[in-house]
Formats: sequence, C-alpha cells, structure tokens
Amino acid sequence: MTLTSRRPAGTATARPAARARRAGFLTPPWWFVAPALLVYAAIVLYPSVSGIVYAFTDWSGIGDKSFNGLANFQHLLSDDQARSALLHTLLLTVTIVIVQNGVGLLLALGVNARIKSRTVLRVVFFAPVVVSPVMIAFLWKYVYNPDPKAGINGILGMLGLSDLRQDWLGNPSLVVWSIAGMVVWQYAGYSMVIFLAGLEGIPAELREAAMIDGAGRFQQFRYVTWPLLAPSLTINVMLSTIGGLKLFDQVYAATGGGPGYSSETLSTVLYKQAFVFGKYGYSTAIALVLALFVAAVSLVQIYYLRGREVGV
Amino acid sequence: MTLRFERNRREFLRAAGGLAAVAALPVSLAACGGSSGGGGGKTLRLVGVADQQKALDELTKLYTQAKFSTSYAPTDQVQTSLRTQLGAGNAPDVHVVYPGNGSAMSMAQIAQAGLLADLSGQSWTQSIPANFKSAFQLQGKTFIYSAGSSVIGAIYNKKVFADAKVEPPKTWSELLQVCDKLKKAGKIPIALGAQTPWVTQLISYALVPSTVYAKNPQFDSQMQAGSTSFAQSGWRDAFNMYLQLQQRGFFNDNPNGTTYEQQTSMVATGKAAMAVQVSAVLPDFRKAATNADDLAMFPFPGADTAANVWIPAGVVVGLGVSARSRNADAAKAFIEFLGRPENINRWAEAVACVPLKRDANSKIDPVLNPFLPFIDDNKAVPFMDQAWPNAEVQPTHFAVVQELLGGKTTVDKALAKMDETYRKKS
Amino acid sequence: MNHLRYGLRTFALEIVMIVVGLAFLFPVYALVVLSLKDSKQIASSPLSPPTSPTLGNFSRAWSSASLGSALLNSTLITIASLVCLIALGSFAAYFLARCASRLGYGLYVLFLLGIVLPFQLGMIPLFKLVDHLGLLGTYQGIIVFYTGIQLPFTVFLYTGFIRALPRDYANAALIDGASHLTAFTRVVFPLLRPITGTVLILNAVFIWNDFFTPLLYLGGSAKETVPVRIFSFVGQYVSDYGLVFAGLVLAALPIIVVFLVLQRYVIRGFASGLKG
Repeated sequence: MTLTSRRPAGTATARPAARARRAGFLTPPWWFVAPALLVYAAIVLYPSVSGIVYAFTDWSGIGDKSFNGLANFQHLLSDDQARSALLHTLLLTVTIVIVQNGVGLLLALGVNARIKSRTVLRVVFFAPVVVSPVMIAFLWKYVYNPDPKAGINGILGMLGLSDLRQDWLGNPSLVVWSIAGMVVWQYAGYSMVIFLAGLEGIPAELREAAMIDGAGRFQQFRYVTWPLLAPSLTINVMLSTIGGLKLFDQVYAATGGGPGYSSETLSTVLYKQAFVFGKYGYSTAIALVLALFVAAVSLVQIYYLRGREVGV
Repeated sequence: MTLRFERNRREFLRAAGGLAAVAALPVSLAACGGSSGGGGGKTLRLVGVADQQKALDELTKLYTQAKFSTSYAPTDQVQTSLRTQLGAGNAPDVHVVYPGNGSAMSMAQIAQAGLLADLSGQSWTQSIPANFKSAFQLQGKTFIYSAGSSVIGAIYNKKVFADAKVEPPKTWSELLQVCDKLKKAGKIPIALGAQTPWVTQLISYALVPSTVYAKNPQFDSQMQAGSTSFAQSGWRDAFNMYLQLQQRGFFNDNPNGTTYEQQTSMVATGKAAMAVQVSAVLPDFRKAATNADDLAMFPFPGADTAANVWIPAGVVVGLGVSARSRNADAAKAFIEFLGRPENINRWAEAVACVPLKRDANSKIDPVLNPFLPFIDDNKAVPFMDQAWPNAEVQPTHFAVVQELLGGKTTVDKALAKMDETYRKKS
Repeated sequence: MNHLRYGLRTFALEIVMIVVGLAFLFPVYALVVLSLKDSKQIASSPLSPPTSPTLGNFSRAWSSASLGSALLNSTLITIASLVCLIALGSFAAYFLARCASRLGYGLYVLFLLGIVLPFQLGMIPLFKLVDHLGLLGTYQGIIVFYTGIQLPFTVFLYTGFIRALPRDYANAALIDGASHLTAFTRVVFPLLRPITGTVLILNAVFIWNDFFTPLLYLGGSAKETVPVRIFSFVGQYVSDYGLVFAGLVLAALPIIVVFLVLQRYVIRGFASGLKG
C-alpha cells in the first residue's frame, strides 16, 4: 500500500538546500504549473477574492449595494440564530468525530480479523460513502419516520421495544443526534478503510513480539496497535472535523434546520441568509468567518496530532 | 527563469494548443442539445417551479411566436439558482415570481431591485380584482402575471366524515365538536405534516382572516405604520386556537416529524379525516387516494359565528419578465398571450385555482364551490406573507410554529419573535 | 486478533460482524423494498417483503426523470473533468514537489488555500465570469469549473505522493538528454499510477454526486446531470415514496455498480489518498 511507501516523506523533503541548487536544471520548468495555476486562479482565487468584498456590503443578492464597513461582522456577534447554529455545528462535529471514528475503528478491527465475511463486510460498510449525501438524507428521512410501522420505529416494534420509538427528526431535543447518526452511518466506512490501511501497515512481528512478551489482547492494542494507528487517526479526525464543520447537504435535505431552529448549522444559516432572507452580504461574512474557523481548527489539529505521531 | 521560459515556450504553446483542443471537443457534442417548444421566432429562456410545469407545458406548446428553453425545479432549488442568476445579471427571459412581498423571490423584492419589466400596459391587467392589486403591483405598476387565486381550507375525506356521521362545520365550535366525534370514531381528525416547513403556516393562515382581518381589515397598513403588532392582534387568538387543536389531541402524534407526504397519504387513505391545505395541492391528494372523488374541501372556520368567518385566498405563483432580458418584447408578448381569458382559464384549470376573472368558459374545480361566495363577498384575504415587508418573517413563522408544537416556546415569545423580525429593515 | 486458526472466538466475531452488517443494511433494505411496492402496499405494510413486487415504479421514474440522457451527460462531464484534472494536477504537482525555491512552496500553500475556502464565497462572481465567457449551459463551462474547484485537492494528493518518490529515474532521463516533458510523461507519470487511481476515484465520486453546480450552470439545458434530474423528479412526486425511492435507486445504481466492480481499487484509493 502507498501508506507504507510514503511514510518517509518527511525525510525526503528536508534535503539540504545546497543539493537543490546544484540540481537546478533538474527542476521542472515553470510551465508545468502554469495551466493549473491559471484555471485555479480563474475558478477559485479570483471569484473568492472578489466575493469577499460582499462581506463588507449590505447587498441583498440582487440590485444595488453599498458598503457598510464591519456592520455584518458586528451583527454576527449579536445574532442569536448564528450563535445557536454555531453551538449545533460544534455539537455535531464533536459527536461525529468521536462516534464516526470510534465505530470506524471497531469495524476496522472486526474486518481486519480472519473472519470469512471480511471482504463482503468491507464493501457493505463502505458502500454508502460513494452515494450522494442528499440521497442518503432522503432515505434517512424515511428511516426516521415517526410512523410506528415504518423505519426504525417499525423495527423497534418488531423487536418488542415499542417504548423506544421516537419522533427522530421532529423532536427538537433529539434531532441533532439523529442527524449525527445519519452522517455516522454514511461515513463510518470511510473511517474504517483509513484505519484498515493503518492496521495493514503494522508489521505482524511487532504484535507477535508483544504476544511473546506476554501482553494480553487489550495490552497489545493499547501499546502496539493504537500508537501505530496515530497517522490514520490524524487523517480521520481531520476529515471528520472539516466535514462536520461544513455540514450542509444532509441537514438541509433532512430537516432544513428545523424543527424551529433546533438543527440549524452555520452552513444552513449562511445558505438561508443568502437565498431565503436576501442578505447576501451578511451571508458572505458568515462564510468568511466559517472559512477562517475551519482553517484555524485544521492547523491546530495538524500541529497537535502530528506532534503525537512524532512522539511515537 | 527567463532562459527556461525561452527554451520552453514552444513546448508550452504546443501544450496549450492541446488543451484548447480538449476544451473544443465537447463543443461538437454540445450541439446535440436542443430546446423545446414549437414554432418560429426567438428562443425564450423560462425558469419555473415544479407546480407550474403542467400549465406551462400546455401553454408553451400552444404559443407559436417563440421557442422555449424551459426548466422546472422545486421551490428551494429554483430560488437558489434564480437568485444567483439574478445577482450575476443573467436572468432568464421569463421566470417564476411570487406575488406580493415577503419572500426572496417575491414581486416586490425583485421589482425594487429593478429586475422586473413593467407589464402595466397589457390588457389582462384590467381584470385584477381590487383586493388583489397589492399582490400584482408595486407603486401602481404591474410586475407579475398570475392566472388566479388558490384558497386555504380543509381538504377532507368524505367517506371518513360520513362514517363518523359528521358534516363540514361552519363555525369554530362546530369544528371542535366534529373533531371530537372523529376522534371518538378512531380517526385522526386533522393530519399535520409540520416537518415540511411551509405546511406549518397553513393553520395560522386559515384562522387569521377570521381572527384578524374580519375584525380589522386595515391590519396590514397598521402593521406597516407600526401602530399595531402581531402580539396585540388576533394572531394571538389564532396561535392559541392552533395549540388548542393540538392539546385536544386532534392532530396526529409527532406533527414535527411528519412530512407533507405523510399528511397527504393519511387523508387520502382515510386514516385521518382532514388536513388544512392550500387548494393547489389537491392533485397530490387525489393521486394518493383510492378514489379521488372521496376528497372535497370546506372553508376552515376561524370564528364562532358563521358570518364572521373569512378565508385566505392568495394569488397563485406567477411569472415575470426580466427587465434586463434581450428578448423583453418577445417575452412580454408571451405574457400577453397568457393573459387572454381562455389561457387564464387553461392555467387555472391545470393548477386547480380560481381564475383571475371568471367567465362562462371557466372550469372551476367543483370542490372549490364552497369558497366562491367568500371571494365574491370580499371576505377573502391574500396570504399573509404577501404583505410582509421582508423575507425573514415567513421563515420565522414556520420556525415558531414548530417550536410551539414542540413545546419549546410560548405564544408570547413566538409573537414577539415575529414582531421583531417584521420590524427588521428589509 | 490475528490468529492463524479459525477458532471459536473468530466464529463469535464473525457472527457479531454479520449481525452488525445486516443492521447496517437496514436503510438499504427499506429503500429497495419500498421501491418495489405500490403506494397501497407501502401504506399497509411498509417494511415487510413485497408480496407482489412491481417494477412499475422504476420504469415510471426512468421515463419521467428522462434519466437516459442524464446518465450520458453525467458520464461525459465526469470523464472529461477527470482527464483535465489529472493532466493539470499531475504536471503542477510535479513542479511543486520538485521546485526547491520558496516560490514553489508558496504556490503549494496557495493551492492548499483552495481546500478551506467555502465555495459560497466566490459563487456569484464565478457565475458572472462563466456567463461572460458564454459558457453557461455548456459542457466546457462545467468541466472547467470542476477542474478548477477540485485542483487544490488533486494537487495536494499528487504533491504528497511525488515528494516521497525517488528522483533518480527522472534525473537519469534528463541527464540522458530527455526533455522535462518526456521525462515526466514517460518516466514519472507511470510511477504515479496508485495516486492517479485515488485522484480518479475521489474526484469521480464528488463530480458524479454534485448537485448544486450542474443545477446552476446547466439547469434548463438538455445537458442536465443525473442528480439535477432526480431531484427535480423527487420534487414533483414527493408524496409517492415508491416512485421516489425507485428514482433514488436508479440514480445511485451506476456509481454503486462501478464501486462493486472496482471495490478493491476504490477502497484502496480512499484509504491511501488522504495520507498527506
């Protein structure tokens, strides 16, 4: 797997500057990067930079606009709806990061064992990843149906657990957890395959050595497997964090932020501000803050989790 | 760097040429795409909501002066893509517009931005009834075409009513008695699919004409002047009545988790007796029913004396012409065509609404008959959001109703929130 | 847990995992079962296996969403975008990975910036640009869009991989007098096959499933993609679960089939691609 071949990446980049200069003519010419840079600048950089301007205006999205300085950002500080959306976003992100990766790790350990159904199960658990999140949300809207005969409630009834039936998406105290469940269902398989790649990269000798030293099953996991999974954990945590913070499709398709405001996330709020309320300028300000926030969280995570890897 | 540039420029140009060829490849494929519609003339780009498709499919086929490139999508998606297109200065020639004010795609919001062409000169505009003028016009100019109005009332299952031996009620207290009997007969009296946001508003809208406008027809202008508020008005009664229906157990369990689709199927299959809905969705209910004739409608009574019952009748979603359209004349000519009495009738029939002007050829869905006297007596009020000053009040209304149903807020707080949102500048 | 024998413990684990797998499949079961029932069966017994399965929902969904042409459009757009992405991305990444100067690093960071920027930020200016270039409603417009929007991620994947690759092969070719173009296309690019697989798969999943961009750029044209058609279809028939679910099955089927056929590569692609 590429995982193992690419571990020494860190050492390869840290080569001495002198060698690089000597190898000057070995450096590819600039036009290798030019076409990509051109397309990237035209499609991403230029529009984003010109889009930032709107964050400092009162533009409705159509018609005239005028600059209003930092008013949008000031408004954001006092906006109750944005604040509760931030809270839901963080709650969802933390839940998804913990549960998705926990479940993913357990699944990975399960299908990494010598069970006969491993290949089939791997495919089963991973399949939802390739399907569009909006379709998954449509499907889960049915699964979460409050009708006692349908969806999860129907299953609970068949199992004789009728008391556990819930109004999964309609109960304001439950809805955030229900959405997290749907996201975990879709992406646990993703975490699983990344952990699997990590597990496959752990040399069997190491575990055998631990066994010979008399380590129990748990100790073997705790002192051999878990530390060596650190790189996989880094990737998984970062991916699920970014995914959680930007979560939009699933929420919008499943509840539209409701009931009331109880499942509103930053992304649904910024969408509504732009296209439902006609406050494009304010929406851009939220988008900008969200981008900075995601970037900051990612940097902190890289710093912390990578540090942990080196420690191992 | 410069040296290498000279050396490699030819290679770069060659590579660029290759890219251009790749980019050019799909052009020939693109030519396979086409546009629909018959006849000659210009091609008009038309974007509508899914509800309009049936009517427009028929009418664009009949119109021979232009070709059409049409697209229809559900409201949310149309709203998003149209707002983006309008914002970027590339509106379709003809596009969906919501009557009055109060939503991001409403006539007043888009016309204020100068993006709708003035349709005032067209002859059909003469037939706009006085009480609907505000839905069509901003500062005396007409900016939207619409074929008529739809009403909000109870869609009910006649079989379920007959089995429980009840008749459509004429007053609020009769309604409560009817619901009681239906409940005793083992049926859900009122199906409510409040997970679907727009469904939340319908019961308020059905009650408010009686609790607010019948007592104070000037309510909208007083709201605009700031001399009254939701909290001081009959809106409070409407919310209390809404909750009373819930407290008496007249709704299905878990309305906040129930969707419009489930609501539809409950009434259509006779599990529930009725649902408060807008007449435009009758086709959906009929599709889901064993026998479409089992379904009928009655005005949902919001007052204790029959004479004080008013109903909501709102102008149905319409079309506008983009002010920036390069084909504005051709587009306006198409609207003129839609405005002919026979075409207003065709559209009205396709969407089961009451045509703007009734004539001998109007085919009005017979289940709407109980509503016509209200319209003729001027006891019909446009949908409330059409008079709201910004696009946030309506979504706030959705949210507070869900919160009320979920027990997460009180009537006082809900009204205060709506008042606060109403007073935000648009 | 890596026992060499298939012992009782492994058997117990096998059973547990299969039960978990079945529970996991429940939503898929509901999807398929409902798509095979008419609305009356759905109302009376939603979850039981269909007594008289009907394919009527599928044929109705196929024709009312005109999925045939949508499948062609989606395929064409996905493949063309992938070709552009791989061409532009691999060349650029090779430069970025091999350029020792500060400029190279700066450009790399500039590309990475694109991963965190929310696309909403540039949505309206970009739409204006595409409009000015006359590319609305064309395949080229959306292909260029996907190329640009997915380049940061592609460049990130390729650069990480190339950095770990020994330079000797390419250098040998260059010293033998080959041009950089030849050295890259003949020597380096073939070595990139594993990561190219990853790039293909991750981008293909994104592009195939993307809904909003094609709605915005292709809506109303004859070039609408599968998600656009399917959601406008779902919007029209919301109250008919069987029909809607049949539509969802049809829309998800192509990518599921491709996944099942290539599952080994797909899973490896997802697993390895994200090792930065």
